[in-house]
This record gives sequence, structure tokens and C-alpha cells, in this order.
Amino acid sequence: MSVRSSATASVRRVATLAAATARPTTERDRERRRIAIMCLPFFALATVAGFVPLAMLVRISLAEETVWIEGWSLEAWRTLATTAEYRWVAWNTLWFVGLATLVSVALGVAVSHVLEKYELPFERAVVAAVSFPIALPGIIVAYLIIVLLGRQGLVTNAIAVATGQSALDLASATAITGLFLGYVYSLLPRATMVLRGTYAEVNVQAEEAARALGASRWQTFYHVTFPEIRPGIVAAAILTFRSGLAIFGTVLILQSHRVLTLQIHDEISVGSYDPDIAAAIGLVYVAFIVAVTFVGLRFIENEAVEI
Amino acid sequence: MTENTDSTGETIDGSNVNGESNGAQNERCGPNATDESKADRDTLAGAARGGPRPDGGTATAAASGEWSRSETAYSTLFGRPILVGVVSIVVAFLTLPVVVTVVSSFAQSATGVVPQGFVTLEHWRQVLGFGDYGVRSNALPGLAFSLAIATGGMVLNVVIGVPVAYALTRYDFVARDVVNTIAILPLVPGLILGIAFVQTYPEHGRSAVGLIAGYCLLKSPYMVLTVQSSFQSMDLVRLEESARSLGASWPRTFLTIVVPHAKRGIVAGAIITWTLAAAEFNFTYMVASGSPDPFAIFLYRNISNATYLQSAAAVSVYFLIVVAAILVLQVIGNSGFTTTRQR
Amino acid sequence: MSEVVLESLTKAYGDEVAVDGVELTIHDGEILGVVGPSGCGKTTTLRTIAGFETPTQGRVLFDGVDVTHVPPEERHVGLVFQSYALFDTMSVRANVAFGLKMQGVSTAERRKRADELLALLDIADLADRRPTTLSGGQQQRVGLARALAIEPHVLLLDEPMTGLDAKLKTRLRDEIGNLLADLGVTALYVTHDQEEAMAMCDRIAVLDDGTVEQVGTPAEIYRRPANAFVANFVGSSTLLEGVAENGHVDLGFTELPVAAETDGSIRVAARPAAFELGEGQIEADVTNVTYLGDRTQLTATLPDDTTVTLHADGSDSYRVGDSIPLSIDADRVHVLESD
Repeated sequence: MSVRSSATASVRRVATLAAATARPTTERDRERRRIAIMCLPFFALATVAGFVPLAMLVRISLAEETVWIEGWSLEAWRTLATTAEYRWVAWNTLWFVGLATLVSVALGVAVSHVLEKYELPFERAVVAAVSFPIALPGIIVAYLIIVLLGRQGLVTNAIAVATGQSALDLASATAITGLFLGYVYSLLPRATMVLRGTYAEVNVQAEEAARALGASRWQTFYHVTFPEIRPGIVAAAILTFRSGLAIFGTVLILQSHRVLTLQIHDEISVGSYDPDIAAAIGLVYVAFIVAVTFVGLRFIENEAVEI
Repeated sequence: MTENTDSTGETIDGSNVNGESNGAQNERCGPNATDESKADRDTLAGAARGGPRPDGGTATAAASGEWSRSETAYSTLFGRPILVGVVSIVVAFLTLPVVVTVVSSFAQSATGVVPQGFVTLEHWRQVLGFGDYGVRSNALPGLAFSLAIATGGMVLNVVIGVPVAYALTRYDFVARDVVNTIAILPLVPGLILGIAFVQTYPEHGRSAVGLIAGYCLLKSPYMVLTVQSSFQSMDLVRLEESARSLGASWPRTFLTIVVPHAKRGIVAGAIITWTLAAAEFNFTYMVASGSPDPFAIFLYRNISNATYLQSAAAVSVYFLIVVAAILVLQVIGNSGFTTTRQR
Repeated sequence: MSEVVLESLTKAYGDEVAVDGVELTIHDGEILGVVGPSGCGKTTTLRTIAGFETPTQGRVLFDGVDVTHVPPEERHVGLVFQSYALFDTMSVRANVAFGLKMQGVSTAERRKRADELLALLDIADLADRRPTTLSGGQQQRVGLARALAIEPHVLLLDEPMTGLDAKLKTRLRDEIGNLLADLGVTALYVTHDQEEAMAMCDRIAVLDDGTVEQVGTPAEIYRRPANAFVANFVGSSTLLEGVAENGHVDLGFTELPVAAETDGSIRVAARPAAFELGEGQIEADVTNVTYLGDRTQLTATLPDDTTVTLHADGSDSYRVGDSIPLSIDADRVHVLESD
């Protein structure tokens, strides 16, 4: 009885709220209606182009028959859980992206620090150089790595001339090191963008006060500067890691390391058409990204997050 | 301790690499601008040696806790040059291949360390579909198609992104944090979205409308963030309240006061989303089905199956587009591809 | 212009009560000051009159008409903010004409009336400039002209002078005060600066913690504060504990011929001007001396250990530790209602 009446009460409350939003009388109701109206277009698109396709992925991963998407089966998930190769791909992805993130964030700290604290002669040019690659898609990054390290690459040929070795033997663009540099090329600018924002907000007066109170340079950095940039470093690491997981074009061209995106691509290629497995991997992957993001965001303020 | 620090200061100033004229008393006097910025730099020297080592490890000196005098002096002597060196390598790594690509797109041959035989427009001609061999697909229809799609995505982004950015900046509501996270973080990568899209909408997923919707959703965070930062930098609530107290209805206030005040952010967001959509590969690769080839597919073909120099010309076409976008952004006051407004 | 009445106005945000049963009347053509510490509910009151907050309880009446649920754009109130909130995308003239445009006034008429107002506020020469190119004082004049252009029922000013420097503030204060009086504008003037309120307003309402502590003319508020809060917020006062008896108040160390409504334990408020230095039976020990140029402010301890603020002439002869004689002018002492 009491359960029912409280349920009735909450239904009534929701109904009142909906009615007030539709035909507002107070300023608060009008405001609520405005919020709904302003969020509506975005959510319409997110639903049609995002949520519904994601739900479709769930359906595909559970389908028995994957061309017409009929029947129900856990086969794809079972394969995913029991095949050692998939675990190997997951591990490949995690360490590779993790390492690329670490390097990118560390270099990003250095670049941001130099840009913020030093007087550089070509500061605008440096800023342009480190932000320009954000606009480059993965396939172009792959090409730029080929330009540096491929058989006809600048660095390859320079070393070949210097050491007398064959350029063919030296080419490392399609080796794992080349791919790694490609990842860093894509990720470093993103990490730097977040960290520059953080550095711009570091309280210089607090640093000065610490110095005036007799703290050494290292102590000042450790006790004042570092705690201030730490949330930025965490934010940069999360975002860089997320972006790193999503890299596909670069791997597609350089092909030297089997990461998740490449695996998904192969699962739906002609010859090994397994859309249910591709969907299952994709879902695990999305769930993982969402989890990393939300867990990571718990450690920092939302405001620190940029793309 | 104080004694120690002061004498350290003297040592540092004595061996100062960039020869700024300051001394121990300056150090002692406190907030002198030049002096302090140097102090910050030196602070950094400690971090620099630890932080940016390419293997991601930490330097041993950093772990030793309090620094002794000689170590501090040592770090000042080498810290800044090392850090500037690291940044120079980073900048070279990021820019050198771009420059080489553009230069070699005009070269006749690419054997040897540097490309040779300038200037030829042969590769550009081929790439743009006027050549006799190689990838012969004419790029211009694809380019035009892609730019039209990107423009569609951009327009749609203005329509959906500006309102949601406004709601998130202006109002505080129950699900604000969740909506904010969904709006500013692309939770689904382009590759997965592409696969799901084709499966969900087998008939329209591959059409121009499908591409526009996908581009718009994938790139909307850039629009939302840019516009948000524009809204944050103005006195949004009071501007709106002024207009409404003067008799403007809320929709009218939004259109005649709020949107014009955020014009710069909207334009910047539009340019960024447009440029990124023009070259979005992962989603396009999964969704597009030829005829005309979107620009991203055109790039892919030219990179994966064309001669080295022809690829260079194809990639340079995209560089031209990006440079144009950045120049426009600079003109309207954003420094490059960032969603935050620089001071 | 209209008369504005707030009837037992209450505004709560969840459990937080920002405004608690406020009863206020702004008479037609009057400038009513609202003063109080930050968080006392003065801005919420203003926003409720403007219509940006709907009260949890109570009503807002304009000339007897209930406007509690009328949206802001239909209320005809003028708003002037501390941060000006001018439309940077428009010229100064377009800013002033904006409200008229919303009313559908013709272009020529709008221009004429905007120019008249700009002339009235002495900024006719700025009409074609952008607001961002103006100084703070000039921007505030534009803000005022813009609000006055729609001939509002009531003009609401939210700390309009706070961002300005002291000298400009004094000049603008006098000028605007006279202008509003000449135009017969009904206005609510919110400020945390009681001196500004006393200079500009016909009456002042003192708010604390969401309730009205006292409403009265500046002189009434200053001379006869209703309670300890008002006595302390509006100017500085010394509160003295005493016992009232037969038209006298016994403070322990002295007796004052002051009548209280009831006998027994009471408190009296004494302004610095109530203490006459140099002669008298009371000995006070100086604990702090602040030389302020035209006067010297002393902090001293009375025989019953009450700390008192005294104003002496601008001599620099006082020293910490001095013992000075003083007397209390009974006419300038006010018995507080029991609270």
C-alpha cells in the first residue's frame, strides 16, 4: 500500500514537472523548458547518430545470423572471452598506447613549461608547430612518418649516406618504432594543448612567495608548481590515452603492430567477415573508454578537460 | 638553510648561462620581475631533467629529495639548454616531415637525402586528376563533395552545438555534468561509429546525410568547447537579463544578443569542425562507398598506392586547407587549433 | 512611474532561505536604498522585482497589479548592473534604443529619444562609439540611459557604483541622484555601501539574513537604529549595557537622563559623535590611535571594559596609554528596542 502510494506520488510529481515544463508559470519552470529546448537538438542527433547505432552493435554482437541479424547467440562473446589472440591484441593495445601516452605527456610538460616560462625567439611559430598536427588525420601522420623513416625517407637516407649502409635496411617507418613515433606525433599536440591551459593558470605569485620564503628551486617546483599542474597532467593523460586508443588510419597504413582498431577492421574485411565479433570488440572498447574517462574524471575537476 | 640558499643563488648567478645581469643581492631582494622569471626557469630545470626523458622514466636526481648546492648549480647550467634542446627536437620532429612533404611535391625525383629537380607541377597535376598514369581518379569532384559534406556537418554543428553549449554554460541543472561529459568528450571513436552506422542505417548510412550526421556528432565537442569558452568569457547572465528587462523575449534575446556576442567562438568552432570533418578518415573509411570518393579516401588511395612524390602532392593539398583554416583562425583571434581562448 | 509593493516575499532555494517574508513599499517617485552585508538577500529581492526569480511565497505588485508571475520582458523594469552588461556588438545609441526597438517604436523616433537621453546624461558625443571603448563611468551612464529609455515602472540599480574609483563615484552619485529625482523615477538602489545609500536615497531598508531589520529615512536609520545590527551596520556605534529606571539609564560608571519605554536591563547605542572629549567625569584608556588627516580615530576602553570608537579633531597629540576624560551627550544616545 505505502509502496504503491509513494509510486503514485512520484508519478504525479514527474507529471507535474512535465506539465510545468510544457506550460510554465514560474521563471524556474520557464528556465527548465529552455534547458530542455536547448539540449534537444544535440540529444536528437546523439540518439540517432550515436545511441541507436550503439544499441545496434549490441544486437549484432548477440545475433546468431549476422547478415540479416536474426536469432540470438552468445557465440561472439564466447569467442572473444576464450580466444588467446584477442587477449594478446588487448595487451598489445594497452602497453603501446600507454607508453605513447607517457612519452607524449612528458614531452608535453616540457613544451608547455618552456612556452610558459621562457622567453623564446619564435614563440608563435613554436605554438603553431605544436598545435598544427591536431588537424592531421592518422593517414597523413603515417605518411609523414614514411617521409622521415621510410625507404625514401629523409632520416633514413641521411643515415645511409653517413654510415654507408643501405637505405632499405635502415627504413623503420613500417617497424614498430615508426608506428610508435606516429602515435607520439598524433598525441603530443593534444597533450600539450591541455597542459598549456594548465600552465597558464599556475599561480606565479605563489611560486614567487615560495621562493621568497626560502624554498629552493626544486622545492618550489615540488611543493607549489607540481601540485598545481597535477590535475592537468592527469587530464592530459586521460585524453591522450583515449585519443591513442582511437588511432586507426596510422596503423592501417603502417600495419606494424596489431592493435584493437586494426583487429576490428580485419574482422569485417572481406575474407574474414565476422561483424558479431567486430561489434563485441567495439563494445568492449567503447565501454573501456567510457570507464577510463569517468574514473579518470573523478580525480580531476571537469573544467580541466579539453579535447 | 637560508645561508645555504643564498650562497647557492650566488653560485647560480655566477655561472648563469644566458648571462642576465643580476647578483646575489637581487636574489635576496625578492620580487623583481626578471629575477623571478629566472627563478622559475631554474625551478623548471629540476623538473626538466626528470620529466621529459623520452623513455618516460624519472631522473635519479629528482628522487634524491633535497638538493645539495652543487646539484642545483649543475641543473641550472644544463637544465635550460637540455629542455630547450628537447623542445627543439620536438618542434623539428613535428614540422620537418611537413616541410619535406610540401617541398618534395614539387620535385622531380626523391632519390638521395634531399629531393631533386625543381620545380615541377607534374605531381599536383596527377593528383588533381589531370595526369596520364598513377591513381587517375579525378580529385576535384571528391574534394568538392567532401568540402560540401564538411560544410553540412559544420552548419549542423552550429545548430546543435551552440544551444547545448549555451545551456551548459548558462544554467545549472540536475544532469548537467553528465550532459557536459557527453557533449565535450567523444565517447565513441569514429571507426566504431562508422561500423555501427552502416549496420543501423543500411540505406541512408552511406549517403551524404549519413556522413553529415556522423561528422557532426564526431566533431561536435570542438564546437561545444569553443563556444562554451566564448560564453564563459562574457557576462552572459547579465547581458541576457538586461535584454529581457528591456522587453526582448527570451528567444529574441538569444538570437539578437547572446549569439552575436559569441560570434568569434562560433566562427572559430565552425572552422575547426569543418577542417577536421574535411579529413575525417576513420568514420569515412567505414561508411563511404565511392563515387565520388570523399577527400579522406582520396588521401588514403594516394598514400597507400601512389608514388612517393604523388602522395606528397596529395597530402600537400590537405596542408593547404589546414593552413588556410589556421590563418582564418588567427585573423579572428584564436591561436591555432585550440578550443580555449588564449590570453 | 509606479508604486512597487512586496508582500511577505519569501524566496527559498531548497532549504536555503534567501529572502524571508520581506514587506517593502517603494513609493512612486522615491529612491529606496537596500543595504546589508553580502548574502543578506538584497540582490535576490531585486531579481524578484525584475522577474528573474519567482518567489516561493508572497507577491510583487506594481501599482496594485500582481506581477508575480509576469515574465521579466513584460514587466517594464529598468536594470543597471555593477558590470554594466552593455551590448558590445552595438553602438552606444543602439544600446539605448534597444528597449524601444523591442516595443516596436519607429527608427526615427528611437533615434530621437536615444539622443535625448544621451544628452541628458551628458554623453551625446559618444553615441556612435562601441561600449568597449568607453571608460567605466561613461559605460555606467550608457547603462542608465538604456534602462531609462523604456520609461520603466521601476528602476533597479544593483551596486552601480562599486566598480568606480572614489572621486568619480562621488560625482556620479550626486549627478544621478539629482537626475532621478528630477525625472521622478521610482528606484530601488541596492548597495553594500551605507554612505552611498544615505547620500542617494529617500529611504533606506536595512536587510540582514533575508529579513528587513528597519526601514526609514537616512536620518532615522542613523539616529534611531531599531536594533544592534542596524546600529552597527549603518555607521559605527558603541553598544552600552545599562539599567533603565525612572527616566534614567544607569550605565554603571555614569547615569544618563534618557527615557526608555520599559524599566530594566536595556542597551543603548552611542555614535562616536555622542562622546565629547576633553572634559567630563568618565575616564577612558586609549588603546589605539589612527590619524586620518581631518580627524583622529581613537579606540579606547571605558571603565566597564566596553571598547569604544571615538572621533577627535585632527590633532596628533593622542598617544596609546593616555587616559582621557570624556562625557556622553544624552541627546545623541539612542535606546535600542529590546532584541
